[in-house]
Amino acid sequence: MATKKPITLKSIFYTAVSLVWIFGLSAIGHIVMVLIEKYNPAIKYDFAWACAITGILALYSTRFMKSDGWQSFIGCMAGLCVWFAWEYSLMYGGHDLGVTYTWNGSYPEYRMMKWTYMMLLMVFLYLLFQESVRCNFIFYLRKKLRLMRGAVATGKVDNYGPRTFFEYIMVTWTFYVLLMIGYDEVLFGAYSWFTYMVFFVSFSIFFYLTYKLLGYDRFGANLRYAIPTVTILWNDVEILAKWQMLKEPWVHINWPIMSVIIGGFAVSTYLIVKDLRGRSQGMIETKDIH
Amino acid sequence: MRYAHFGLICIMALMIFVQPAYSQEQTGKEKYEARLTSLADRFFAAQKAGTTIKGVIVEGNSLFNGTTEPQKKPYGKPYSDAERKTALRSAERNSKVFLLARDGTLYSPTVKKGQAESESLGAYRFDRVITEEQKKKKTLPWATLVPLVGREIEVLGEVYPGYSGVKGLFIEALGFEGDYVPGK
Repeated sequence: MATKKPITLKSIFYTAVSLVWIFGLSAIGHIVMVLIEKYNPAIKYDFAWACAITGILALYSTRFMKSDGWQSFIGCMAGLCVWFAWEYSLMYGGHDLGVTYTWNGSYPEYRMMKWTYMMLLMVFLYLLFQESVRCNFIFYLRKKLRLMRGAVATGKVDNYGPRTFFEYIMVTWTFYVLLMIGYDEVLFGAYSWFTYMVFFVSFSIFFYLTYKLLGYDRFGANLRYAIPTVTILWNDVEILAKWQMLKEPWVHINWPIMSVIIGGFAVSTYLIVKDLRGRSQGMIETKDIH
Repeated sequence: MRYAHFGLICIMALMIFVQPAYSQEQTGKEKYEARLTSLADRFFAAQKAGTTIKGVIVEGNSLFNGTTEPQKKPYGKPYSDAERKTALRSAERNSKVFLLARDGTLYSPTVKKGQAESESLGAYRFDRVITEEQKKKKTLPWATLVPLVGREIEVLGEVYPGYSGVKGLFIEALGFEGDYVPGK
């Protein structure tokens, strides 16, 4: 687990940049898919393979990186690339099997993803019982469920790249499955108490996680914790779109809004890279808690 | 930190892969917009000439086993609310859907004549012709058939003789009122 520090102006800056970067990454991921689907659907499966290969290479590259900031930064992008490939593979599967859209508008690939819930549970159970996993949420559950038989594993994690990669995929996967279960009209439905609950709980947890995030004043830990923080807020974005209260700018290709998001992403990428380079050259110092 | 450059090389590799997509996107975008404009022109011309096919989308299994009788209901309201809910659920489980015209003709959506290998049309995204009013609401220019069960649509396409009274209908584009997914 990363060590939490007092909230400072610096940590507010790092938090804001991380949140903008992860949000921009998700939004740009969506718009890339929409543009390909709209203007050049013929290349989508080649694109998926390119993403998978790039993601795996990027993940491999973290093995050579020394700073946890770079490892997390590249690990997150590797996670997004492989996630792209996974969504496209489901899209291909849905197309091949003739899976329809639902009457409330859910896409075939997400319908298929819903049925991976048991697989998700299996992976989650492994993480829950694996005592060396240091994820705050899983650690909390392990403590509450009395699954922890000793102190949590401590010591340096040598490569945060694969962890960030896995975290990105797991968090995104979990929330997609959760939303799809909520949208299922046989189980709950888009306007059911369950979906309302997911909406309000996600909104509340986003603020709590943002508050926690403010304690991390460097990009390694901050980026990693920004992943669940933004993804949980993304639940609300998705639900608002489902309720037709929000026209997603990346689906309806609203360029003025998308330009702001892309601009924010570009600026935050620049700030992150600048900071990480500064750190690797020893120009930025971070004091640890004693 | 020189190894971090390896990561950046990976990103560049992705961009190189995507480059052909981007350069094609310009032509792809132009082609896409030209296709939609051409479809809209042809759709409205056919509408004026009275050659579009109008009908309500009905769910096939409950129609053919006689459980629902949309053909006996007033045109435009083929199902009760409860029936429509069930019909929608069946359709999203990939039961075949049909177009029932006002004169009672049943059309089976199919692919273009000559195409032997095909896919489920319940999963297919059809181009949707949108009016100026709908454009203002940022309506999506495509639709699939499942959410349209029980609703009236207008089709630009080709009619084939079909079999045993049920005609084949190749849907080139479709138009309808309201949102694709109507919401609550």
